[in-house]
Amino acid sequence: MNGEVKMAGVMTNREIRVHTRRRAARGFVLDGFLLLLSFLMLAPFLWMISTSLRLPQESFSLPPAIFPTAFNASSYGQVFDQVPFASFIFNSLKIALIIVVGHIFISSMAAFAFSRISFAGRNAIFLIFLAGLMIPGQVTIIPQFILISKLGLVDTHWALILPALINPLGIFMIRQMMMTISTTYDEAAYMDGASRMWVFLKVILPMVFPAVAVTSVMTFIGNWNDFFRPLIFLNTFEKMTLPLGMTVLNGTFGSGNLSAILAGVTLSLTVPLLFYIFGQKYLVEGITAGGLKL
Amino acid sequence: MTKKSKDLLVGYLFLAPALLLFLVFIAEPVIASLILSFTKYNVITPSQFIGFDNFKAFFDDDRLGLVYWNTLKFVLILTPLHVILGLLLALAVQRKIAKGLKYFYRTIFYFPVLATSAAVATAWSFIFNKEFGILNYFLGLFGIEGIPWMQSPNWVYLAVAIYSFWKFIGNAFLYYFIGLQNIPESLYEAAEIDGAGKLQRFMNITLPMLSPMLFFVLVTTLIGTTQIFDEPYLITGGGPGDASRSVNMYIYEIAFQKHQMGYASTVSISLFLAILAITALQFGLSKKWVSYDQE
Repeated sequence: MNGEVKMAGVMTNREIRVHTRRRAARGFVLDGFLLLLSFLMLAPFLWMISTSLRLPQESFSLPPAIFPTAFNASSYGQVFDQVPFASFIFNSLKIALIIVVGHIFISSMAAFAFSRISFAGRNAIFLIFLAGLMIPGQVTIIPQFILISKLGLVDTHWALILPALINPLGIFMIRQMMMTISTTYDEAAYMDGASRMWVFLKVILPMVFPAVAVTSVMTFIGNWNDFFRPLIFLNTFEKMTLPLGMTVLNGTFGSGNLSAILAGVTLSLTVPLLFYIFGQKYLVEGITAGGLKL
Repeated sequence: MTKKSKDLLVGYLFLAPALLLFLVFIAEPVIASLILSFTKYNVITPSQFIGFDNFKAFFDDDRLGLVYWNTLKFVLILTPLHVILGLLLALAVQRKIAKGLKYFYRTIFYFPVLATSAAVATAWSFIFNKEFGILNYFLGLFGIEGIPWMQSPNWVYLAVAIYSFWKFIGNAFLYYFIGLQNIPESLYEAAEIDGAGKLQRFMNITLPMLSPMLFFVLVTTLIGTTQIFDEPYLITGGGPGDASRSVNMYIYEIAFQKHQMGYASTVSISLFLAILAITALQFGLSKKWVSYDQE
């Protein structure tokens, strides 16, 4: 406040007026640019939704409609009739949810061991886990594929679930939060005769809910959207996940019916949208907590 | 049992599921990859030790040189795109504007990040179509006719850059946006009292305070683009010809279409070493410009 008064003091009234006008003009240009950019970001979505509602024979015609012209929902029916689209959605949901639950349970147990129990080898193992974070997917995928095929799990959902249960990042994030909780909570509970498992489940786990929520949202979205692993592991249409199913949809309708493909695309957006609405807060928290600590 | 040995037992029991999965799905594959790179193996017939033959093939492989060059182009185009434009966007939204408007921008810029890649990329491949795509239709209204997005080895990179901006700019944007919000307002007020101009405040407060976030975005974008797969696979199919085929697409082709697991492992290790070198270099350079003393 003080500074503004002082600065204003050295400017004449006319200078102030020119200054504010110039600032306002610049702000106006930026606002206009941001609004235009927002529209351009939204336009593909609007085109996808509106074209999915067009008649199939008109789906390729130009000029394209940004806003829906005729509400013809038949393409949505076709997606379910000609392609096992319901299975794609169900498979994706099932796999992503199993991974989230398993990953959270396994990671928070490991985080509990790393943060609250002292035993020989603990720090060495933790460092090895952290090193595992740096191994990119393409190095492990080939041996994983060989292993999965030897176990006879190719073209099963286990091929996607089992390797995804372990992610050192989740362990790291939950451990970081557990480290901030005072050990007096545990000690009080052990005095009352509580077991380790009870302290883990009833005392510590509820206290790290934000870290668990962040890890859950990220794990869910990551696995819901995963394309590469399903591409490698799944062959049967009925077992495919939604991202992989998009290639089936494209192959079935690609040359004649764009509306059907975009109906599938629109359907695929509903789950991330729901997660965005309910999980945005945790995503932001996760970035705030994790991003700065690299 | 003493407390110490009981802790040892309980500790490893809590760790057991994670440790087991880590050994099977991360540690063992890393070692197996190294061994595989010295073998010839197609999953069905037993593997065969062939010494350094894969490494010799590696240096004789003309396509490999091309896909590495393509990947380098992706890295050189996409990294500045996200690191710089993401920052400019965050600065524009972080101004003193209505809170509701900020939320609106954040929501719109970030949502494509979460959208199912395979689905929206499929849709974009139609947007880029030369004859009936909406992009060329709108460009046509401005007198720009028939850009061969998918047919030209050069345009194809602009197509991927446009898609990548639309799909992922929200990621860098959100990191910067949060980083900017965490800079205490009092620093700017103090600088203003000292008579610091806008540019000075940006250079001496915003940039240093944001440097850890800048570094994070830079490193993750570099690592991500070096491993690029979904975008070329789904939008360009690696084409025309091999013009936009990335190293990761090539590894996929050798391993899972040609079933040459040994040679594919050799190539994947080379990519891993490239990523490791880039990351190490960034961490080395970061000491010169990233400041972690935030107070």
